[in-house]
Amino acid sequence: MAAEILRLDGLSKSFFGVEVLHAVSFALHRGEILGLVGENGSGKSTTMNILGGIHQADAGSITLDGRPYRPTGPRDAQEAGLAFIHQELNLFENLSIEENIFISGFPRRLGRLPLIDRRRIGQRTRELLDMVDVRYPPATPVGKLSQGERQLVEIAKALSQDARIILLDEPTTSLTRRETEKLFTIMERLRAQGIALIYISHILGDVLRVCDTIQVLRDGHLVGGGPRDEMPIDTLISLMVGRKIENLFPPRDTEPTTVPALEVEGITQSGVVRDVSFTLHEGEVLGVAGLMGAGRSELARILFGLDPFEAGRIAVGDTTLTEVSPEACMRHGMAFLTEDRRGEGLMMEATIADNTALPSLRAYARSLTGWIARSRLEDDVAEVSRRVQINTTDYRGMLVKNLSGGNQQKVVIGKWLLRQPKVFILDEPTRGIDVGAKFEVYKIVNQLVAEGTAVLFISSEMEELIGMCDRILVMSHGEITGIHERHEFDSERILETAMLKNLADVA
Amino acid sequence: MSGTAGRRLALVVLQNAPLIAFVVVLVIFASLSDRFLTLGNFTNIVTQSSHIAIMAIGITFVLLTAGIDLSVGAVMYVGVAILALYLGDLPVVVSFPLVALIGLALGAVNGFFVVQMRGLHPFIITLAMLFILRGAALWMTDTRMVFVAEPIMSLGRTSYLGVPWAIWMFAAVFALAWIVLRETPFGRQVYAVGQDPVAAGKAGINVPLVLFAVYCICGLCAALGGLVSIAQVAAASSTFGFQKEFPVIAAAVLGGTSLFGGRGGVIGTVFGAILIQTVENGLVMTNANPYIYPLVTATIIFLAVLIDSQRTRILEAMGRRKIRVEEA
Amino acid sequence: MLRTAGASGNAATRTAGGVRTRGWLERLILSEYLVFYLTTAYFLAVWPIVPEIATASSLSNMLTDMLPLLVVAIGQTFVLIVAGIDLSVTSIIAFASVVGASVMTADGGYLGGSPLAVPAGILTFLLIGGLIGWFNGFCCTRLGMPPIIVTLTGLMFLSGTAIWYTTGHSETSSIAGLPKAFVLIGQGSAYGVPNALWVALVVGISAHLLLGHTVFGRWLYAIGINRKAAEISGVPVGTAILWTFVISGVCAAIASILFTGRLETGTPVLGQRILLDIIAAVVIGGTSLAGGKGKIVWTVGGVLFLVVIDTSLKLLGMSLFVVFAVKGGVILFAAIIDAMRQRIIMRG
Repeated sequence: MAAEILRLDGLSKSFFGVEVLHAVSFALHRGEILGLVGENGSGKSTTMNILGGIHQADAGSITLDGRPYRPTGPRDAQEAGLAFIHQELNLFENLSIEENIFISGFPRRLGRLPLIDRRRIGQRTRELLDMVDVRYPPATPVGKLSQGERQLVEIAKALSQDARIILLDEPTTSLTRRETEKLFTIMERLRAQGIALIYISHILGDVLRVCDTIQVLRDGHLVGGGPRDEMPIDTLISLMVGRKIENLFPPRDTEPTTVPALEVEGITQSGVVRDVSFTLHEGEVLGVAGLMGAGRSELARILFGLDPFEAGRIAVGDTTLTEVSPEACMRHGMAFLTEDRRGEGLMMEATIADNTALPSLRAYARSLTGWIARSRLEDDVAEVSRRVQINTTDYRGMLVKNLSGGNQQKVVIGKWLLRQPKVFILDEPTRGIDVGAKFEVYKIVNQLVAEGTAVLFISSEMEELIGMCDRILVMSHGEITGIHERHEFDSERILETAMLKNLADVA
Repeated sequence: MSGTAGRRLALVVLQNAPLIAFVVVLVIFASLSDRFLTLGNFTNIVTQSSHIAIMAIGITFVLLTAGIDLSVGAVMYVGVAILALYLGDLPVVVSFPLVALIGLALGAVNGFFVVQMRGLHPFIITLAMLFILRGAALWMTDTRMVFVAEPIMSLGRTSYLGVPWAIWMFAAVFALAWIVLRETPFGRQVYAVGQDPVAAGKAGINVPLVLFAVYCICGLCAALGGLVSIAQVAAASSTFGFQKEFPVIAAAVLGGTSLFGGRGGVIGTVFGAILIQTVENGLVMTNANPYIYPLVTATIIFLAVLIDSQRTRILEAMGRRKIRVEEA
Repeated sequence: MLRTAGASGNAATRTAGGVRTRGWLERLILSEYLVFYLTTAYFLAVWPIVPEIATASSLSNMLTDMLPLLVVAIGQTFVLIVAGIDLSVTSIIAFASVVGASVMTADGGYLGGSPLAVPAGILTFLLIGGLIGWFNGFCCTRLGMPPIIVTLTGLMFLSGTAIWYTTGHSETSSIAGLPKAFVLIGQGSAYGVPNALWVALVVGISAHLLLGHTVFGRWLYAIGINRKAAEISGVPVGTAILWTFVISGVCAAIASILFTGRLETGTPVLGQRILLDIIAAVVIGGTSLAGGKGKIVWTVGGVLFLVVIDTSLKLLGMSLFVVFAVKGGVILFAAIIDAMRQRIIMRG
């Protein structure tokens, strides 16, 4: 193997007392493609952000070319020769390829005039585009390029800044098969030139195709890694989902019924989901597993009337829904806890009471302009807040933004419980909350299904799904690729199903 | 996908709407009046639209960054008031650049507040400036009509090579603006900032400086517009420049510059200004009721913004990332 | 009503990093009643310079000036709470004035001389305000157009239309000859209290109750604070916003009734100069331009502040144009305070 260019040594990082990286160490060599894999929350993004200077490690060191590397911002990273190709590309659609590449440093005509030296940038851009095999003229507006082509332009931009290490974060989630192949070809070409690449992805098939070495992260720890040939799929999967130390789930006493609470038939929306069908029963916890970007949250939004669908049918109990709106879904007894608590689930600048009351206001006044029955509302808010065990009783004074993540999530749950829903869709309900609060959320879910509520439980944590659900649906690329029954729950099988579409060529 | 095809068609129509509108307008007025389609009349139209066009070019810079400047009419008035009251003795080659500089300085004040008070929308800042400046100008002129010296008035009547002075100014400002926006790093950065200010910052662009500069340019052009206008009308009453911001913004938006930033250019703006003036000219030619002029202008602005909003909506819907990529 | 940040109840908050004690200046800026403090301070400051300001007649004049302005500002408050803005209100006032007058006027009005004249006239005012408000709201919610431009074009269009309409209905530039009963609304009094004050009280109290104690009111605050969260919680966001514009239009119409009654003529230049005053008053009272915050009481304070400044400048003999410029400064000042408030809240 060629010379070592980057070494991470004992990198650790905590946020608000929660440790997200623990003593992560690995090395990267020139001309090497290193794959970094792990489930959501395993620490991949944090590692990237530390390398990019967005966060600083609490402990450990990074060595670049033998010298210590401690970037304080993206500028430092760029000057050191690291380039990041993020999932959200940083290109300007209204500018041409060459303008995008040189936007912060245009070479000038005659060196001094404030006019762009079109010839020079055109020439240089053509060279760069050749390196990444993009056949458009440099003056093409980026808006005309496909997603895959834009990504290659980003790589060209990285090369224009003399990058020696290129990090790609989930680059293929929106690419066609052909574009993915092209990306790999370019990556191999760059490797041959001595550039080192870090390829972060949860699509194991691709990782195994293109990477020389693979490192596996789980819960912030580096649990294994080595040359590609020593890391077959089964090893990777079992490393990714291995036994966790905290494995506490409250016991389930009740069984799901066979009475359908939510029936979904053939839901299709081009570009989003295709032919999704399933039945959720009263008293059942139905999990929805899948990789990030599989379309689970998008499906939830469609079910709750926030986004339209072209074909299919949604029925709550016996009634088919005819209106597509959150209000109609709520009227039929649906509730939706979104995955973006801060942006969509709560009004951060409002009190617990106001947040909890919002979806139910209509029930407390005779008309929209009628007087709200304040004291009855306050009593009910207090009751439901006690039920979800929020750790303060100052419901009318405490602003939600000052609560911990766990308590914030409880407020969201409380606001929906106030409506006594029949069907409750939960999208990543325990994301970003501490262990104690997670357990309390699990208990609430169990209570709900014991009372006959139907719960759709979307989660990226395999252990959580296995511990809580009666059945698990698996989605990938907008389709349902499998259903698993409780007695046959096996995290490795489930993960395989989640990656079904992407393993096709490797298996 | 019928959805996307339908959207693409709508987008094409919306993006070419100004051109279609222009043709329609020409046809309507030409059929209503035979004096309309003459070279003399068109020269008139371009001359009369010069001051609006110049100011609209300036505001194009601001709109490209998704900002707005409501004080342009007031800046116009202040510049002219100072010219008439205090700079009357100076030769044109001195007084005109001075007024232009004043415009630049006033624009800089706007720019300063916009950059420093990021939470405030430029709309509020420039609205406040509108009133402050208007008040200041009315105080200077004591609400009386002000007159400019003879050399300036004769400039307004002069033609070089058969082309009126106003059109020369217009052409000069247009050419300069076009070069700046298309061929200078600054110009391209204006587009980048308007498209995505966060990405622009990440890409190393000095976003506050760009924002500051576009307001300076807008102020400068407003002052220039005032000069061109006063040379033609020779006197400025207390309503000089009043509500000029509307046709100015309308010209830019009609010509394809989006209120949401990142899209548009001076060619379209010039086209929009000429279109608006053509409509007004047509109304005069066909002896339409003068009271409906503001109504027509307001309707045009409304339609321009309506088109812009629908365009933006469609582009946004098309740009959303797909979960399922249908294999080609 | 929703307790939002900036309310004096902030003392109850505890963050992981401990409480940030605020300096007296910060607390002052964040105070709900800042505008009342400012008004009092200003009043006391100018009193020695222009003692006439405190006479009974001067104070009663200020009150009469305040009332129609207050009614419009109340309507504007609704729109600002949902992070919108309505710049067409002054033209609504003008347009409603001339059309309403044309219905009622004794010189050839549509219903001139008939006993139905006044009720029909009032209905005309309100309908115009409501319909224009509906149109504004429709363009902003269903067509996705920015409220600034929609209402700005409305301003231009309606003002021109009002002038044109007047020329079609009168030789002069206004429509006079309004029935006594109508004029009494703007000028008369009942039980010793000016009718205009009764109207303003009714509007103010209704608005206060609507915002503070009804579902609709709570929805508006939710939309202003977090539109997406409101939508997911089942709030019909588009419809609610549309209604705020209708309310704003109707309030403008009511103000127009008061103005027109006071002047005894319908005139198309009515209210032309007060657009700035309306926005300045609402913003300096504490309602945020960014939405989610606002109270009728605050608006009352803002209008009071503005009228006091206006009156004092007049008594000081300042020309109208200085007043103009000063008010522009006031808007800037109000907006800066708003921005400072946001920053203080962000920091802790």
